[in-house]
Amino acid sequence: MAEKLAYLWPEVTLFLATCAVMVIGLSPSAAVRRLCPLISGLSLAAAGIFAIGTTPTLADGAEGLMPGMLPYAKAIIAAVGILIVMLLAGTVDRGEEEELAAGVRKFDPLRLTSGEFYAFFLFSLTGLMLTASADSLIWLFLALELTSLPTYVMVTISTARSRAKEAGVKYFFLGALGAAIFLYGFALIYGGTGSVHLGEIHHQITLQMAGDGLNGITLAGLLISILGIGFKIAAVPMHYYTADVYQGAATPVTAMLAFVPKTAGFLALILLCSAIGWHYGETGHALPDTIRLLLWVMAVLTMTLGNVLAILQTSMKRMLAYSSIAHSGYMLVGIIAGPGATFTESGISAVLFYLLTYGVMSTGAFAVIASLERTHAERTQTGELAYDEADSIEAIRGLARAKPLLGWSMVICALSMLGFPLTVGFFGKLPLFTSGIAAGELPLVIVLGINSAIAAFYYLRLVSYPLFDEAGDEAGGFITTPMRTRPAVAAIGAVGVLAMTVFAGPLMGLAHDAVQPKLHDSDAPIADEAMPTEEAEPVAAK
Amino acid sequence: MTTLAATELADYFPLIVIIMMAVTFSVANVALTLLLGPKRDGKVKSIAYESGMNPIGTARKRFNVRFYLIAMVFLVFDVEVIFLYPWAVTFPNVDRLAPGASEWLIRILFFLFTTVVAYLYGYRKGVFKFD
Repeated sequence: MAEKLAYLWPEVTLFLATCAVMVIGLSPSAAVRRLCPLISGLSLAAAGIFAIGTTPTLADGAEGLMPGMLPYAKAIIAAVGILIVMLLAGTVDRGEEEELAAGVRKFDPLRLTSGEFYAFFLFSLTGLMLTASADSLIWLFLALELTSLPTYVMVTISTARSRAKEAGVKYFFLGALGAAIFLYGFALIYGGTGSVHLGEIHHQITLQMAGDGLNGITLAGLLISILGIGFKIAAVPMHYYTADVYQGAATPVTAMLAFVPKTAGFLALILLCSAIGWHYGETGHALPDTIRLLLWVMAVLTMTLGNVLAILQTSMKRMLAYSSIAHSGYMLVGIIAGPGATFTESGISAVLFYLLTYGVMSTGAFAVIASLERTHAERTQTGELAYDEADSIEAIRGLARAKPLLGWSMVICALSMLGFPLTVGFFGKLPLFTSGIAAGELPLVIVLGINSAIAAFYYLRLVSYPLFDEAGDEAGGFITTPMRTRPAVAAIGAVGVLAMTVFAGPLMGLAHDAVQPKLHDSDAPIADEAMPTEEAEPVAAK
Repeated sequence: MTTLAATELADYFPLIVIIMMAVTFSVANVALTLLLGPKRDGKVKSIAYESGMNPIGTARKRFNVRFYLIAMVFLVFDVEVIFLYPWAVTFPNVDRLAPGASEWLIRILFFLFTTVVAYLYGYRKGVFKFD
């Protein structure tokens, strides 16, 4: 308990801020209510500092399988979280607050949702950080659900429009299905290994693989839970909700959906796969063939389907939704490749680095969309005021001339998402390629390459529309939102992409340090040594 | 073995007494009402009771949101009590001089703190206002 607290200070900080925000958000004074995003942002900064500061040492036996991952994962969660909270600021209750300020309406705490909104946001990030620190299946499940449940509500209350409610309901039911699936998988893993503790599961699986191979129940459990976690990362076949939910939610919340559940899913996948057992510090993979095959098929389908469907979209939010599916596919390549001795060979550090890269560039791109809106608010059926946000790709025609800041931010972020050389997106994708090649997954890497080419087709639209086109009629109707933080996030996203390009080396180094092996207990190494010879052969044949 | 089973069953004796009391009480009340109560029937009186709402009409009718708010606040305190009882029963057995004994108190205080926050939130939200 107490030893676990040593690395849970970031979560504790966020939780206390959640409590404060929940109560402050219901204050009758508008000035006090406006403190909510500020408090959320400050608590995230504090959590980030705690995450870097209160690191368990590798020899400390109290932590999960990948102790080095904690500070890195939590720090990037805090960093991207601050960007997202800046984007979220002022999203909910906007019409309500305007009417309150104008004196049209009287203060009614039941009608205001800003307290809940930021509280749920912080709850979700708390869950995300807890996912990184998970050391048992129960913890992992609770953390994943703590990450997801608030997002269902956030989608629903993000705008007054009815399509947000539709999106929320779809997201909730499919999310519940996903949770049920991976929970069932967890139950089977427990049945197959006799423990919920990841370290013990790792030990049991190692013993099973050294003997007659994985037993059926364990294998079924692992397959089912990986499939269920596919919902969180929006991987085929659990991707159906993505486009509708991303489009229905207010754009700032969409930016959050693109980063938070995806990160949670990948952290969970990394933890699960490390429980199955990669052998650290060597190339080659200890993932059983069936699981590797499942991930392989998921990766190929996810990136291909995401990219092909993204081409067909005219809505920017749907396009970025499918692009987020495709990015999940790219990152699955890293999961399949597994850890390696150097950064270029290590798929896991590639995934961790890519999560940071993707978080910054996608938040930047969504911030540009969120910054564009129509001048006048409209009344919805239920009588609330709602602003029409930019969604059609026509809205960014000629943006670089009309609004240089937003236009260029979109250009830079889109180029980076494409993986254009000399952007951080390129340096993010490169280790995915090299680790895949190092792991002997040549066909997968070829598919990844083809997909990057397909992706160019629609990302280049996001680049060329603002840069080379004249503003059409559609574009004329949009103005920059009066909320200053949103264009600021777009700018920070673009500057971040450029800055991270410069500092890619040190950041990659941090990502690589994050996956260094845990010092094994006295009995573990013997079992670990026995594994490689049996596992390397069937994989190499593929 | 038999003695062990016997003592275990004996432990449940108060429970059996309570169950018998509950059954007797409810059966006696219904029986006494039937025997002693006046029998005046009416249209309104014979309709099903549905939390004070008129049960006639479509099921898609909107409920007052307070039903849900009260239900949710009830859940918060309900869950709190569920956790407090086992804690209260085990806490006297904790060796107070043992290392880490204070954790037992800190844990439940933290738990109570979260409940207070929930209460404060409900209060600010106006859940307890009945106007």
